[in-house]
Amino acid sequence: MQAFMAILRYDAAQLLQSWVTRVWVPLLLAPALFLVVVAASENELASETLAAYVAAVLMPLSAVAVAVLTAGAIAGEAQIIADGILSRSVTRTEFVSAKIVARLGFALAVFLLVMVPFTYLIIRYAATDVSYAGLLVGLFTAALLLTFLGALGLTLSTVMTNVLVSVLVLLVVVLASGLVLQFLGLNWMSTTAVLTQMAPTIRGETPAWDTFRVIFVFGGLTAVSILATFSVFRQRDL
Amino acid sequence: MHVVNTHDLTKIYDNRYIALNALNMRVEKGQVYGLVGPNGAGKSTTFRILLGLQKPTAGSIQVFGEAMGAERADLRRRIGYLPTNPTFPKTMTPIGFLQFVGSVLGMPRDRAKIQLSRLLQAVDLTNAASQPVKGFSTGMLTRLGIAAALMNDPELLILDEPTSGLDPAGRKQTIELIRELSGRDRTIIIATHILTDVERVCTDVGIISAGRLIYSGPMADMRRLARQGTIAVEIEGNTSAFEQEIPSLDEFGSVRYERLGSEFRITFLGTRSLTDYLQRVLQLIDRTGVELLHINTGSDEIEEAFLRRLEDDRTRGFLRAAAWAAALEGSPAEAHLDGGLSDDSPMASAAHNGAAGANGNSGPLAQGKGESADAGIHGHPSV
Repeated sequence: MQAFMAILRYDAAQLLQSWVTRVWVPLLLAPALFLVVVAASENELASETLAAYVAAVLMPLSAVAVAVLTAGAIAGEAQIIADGILSRSVTRTEFVSAKIVARLGFALAVFLLVMVPFTYLIIRYAATDVSYAGLLVGLFTAALLLTFLGALGLTLSTVMTNVLVSVLVLLVVVLASGLVLQFLGLNWMSTTAVLTQMAPTIRGETPAWDTFRVIFVFGGLTAVSILATFSVFRQRDL
Repeated sequence: MHVVNTHDLTKIYDNRYIALNALNMRVEKGQVYGLVGPNGAGKSTTFRILLGLQKPTAGSIQVFGEAMGAERADLRRRIGYLPTNPTFPKTMTPIGFLQFVGSVLGMPRDRAKIQLSRLLQAVDLTNAASQPVKGFSTGMLTRLGIAAALMNDPELLILDEPTSGLDPAGRKQTIELIRELSGRDRTIIIATHILTDVERVCTDVGIISAGRLIYSGPMADMRRLARQGTIAVEIEGNTSAFEQEIPSLDEFGSVRYERLGSEFRITFLGTRSLTDYLQRVLQLIDRTGVELLHINTGSDEIEEAFLRRLEDDRTRGFLRAAAWAAALEGSPAEAHLDGGLSDDSPMASAAHNGAAGANGNSGPLAQGKGESADAGIHGHPSV
């Protein structure tokens, strides 16, 4: 447990000092503030403003940031990890667990740091048309999408040795998945479809079954990615 | 108890590259074991498997009597490891990194701070203790790596090329540090291709080549080996005739020589005693009618012995088999076995029986320790 906590603290410190974080967080905050001002002055609908922000700002920027932070989590530090950490009294399970908690936890922390105050301000100043249950479901779904992306990034990071290739593959997979799912008639599973449905979801208009299946699929995929990360890393030569 | 014990340890990367080839290595408690070999011989691979960072393709490895694996953090807690050209998080300071190592090892904070202070002083990094690592020289990084390896006061210390990239002063300092660390029941394994470092600090040495241990034994035997098997003669007269007859000095032609003017430096790769070869050289001198000006045996350096061992390993095959057969037929007891054979091969059994049967007459080339047949050559000049 001590090794887990030590690695978690170390990784969290690395993330806080990372240039990605220093660029990502301000880029999220600035448009959020702008939208609060616009929504208040123009009396925009809260659900539409929130959905637009999530679809146009939060998800694209966060997807890139999370891809970089997770796809480089192991590949980018391979030698330090092998020689400096795993050659000591740390099991691979402890190490991967700490990395997963640190990276995904950090991504969710940034998400909450931005979305909680932004949501509060939008509801406060914009024209309220949200259902609180729908709001929670909508934000939860957005967080789940990010978490899935991060988990997939971590899996790729254990499989590939090149950070750049890991990041590119991750982004290509995400972008291409929409087309593939559309071709297979599973459009509802694509991130685009989920984000398109964000405004109705926040208003509480999306059927419960639709919400449930999205959460189930992305939750399941996240779990599979995490298990794959453990499995691959345990077998890999360092 | 063997601190490290490998049995037919094999590692093949991507089904293409054989990094370790049935390696059998044993290191006992308290030894300072030098693992010597050229670049790409398999030294680092051995260590990585030893630490559980890689899995062997075949064979087994035991550390402190237990099987090593990726999840054996309990065994790694007793090991300190210095990798080749160690890398550290660039923004961390030595204090920060050693604190991190201490927390990973589960050390109480206070104890970790005392330990890191002592270690930074011991490796002479006190003045740089709060500077980021990114500005450090190679020597400083190595010293920090040694400090990190010692944080848990390990029973087994593994140093992979500890003097790599260091200037002569840095090398001397590192060797002195290693010498101070030996003893107190600590076992040290040093991988290096710098033989003078091995000679200075190691009690035992193993030579690894192409993934196999081709020699393993005490340093004292290696030194003795360095002085055997070579006869240097300086002659005058019909030197051409003498030179033409040199290959006939051994029935199987396992002899090589260098000529520098009128001096011939003849090295014997066979299993006969040096006295025997010396007699043959003198007979040859007599037969060819040259005048002997000077004769000398040995004066090989360790490096020469090492190179000879490597070349010997490369030129085996039929030569080795023929010399084996000759040794088994009734010459004195020196069945030297090929590191690639397993214990239950017919040749290994025959060699064992031959060696056992002709035991008393070992001469200066004493039998090595009673290790298994496939552990390579034990303190002998090899065939």
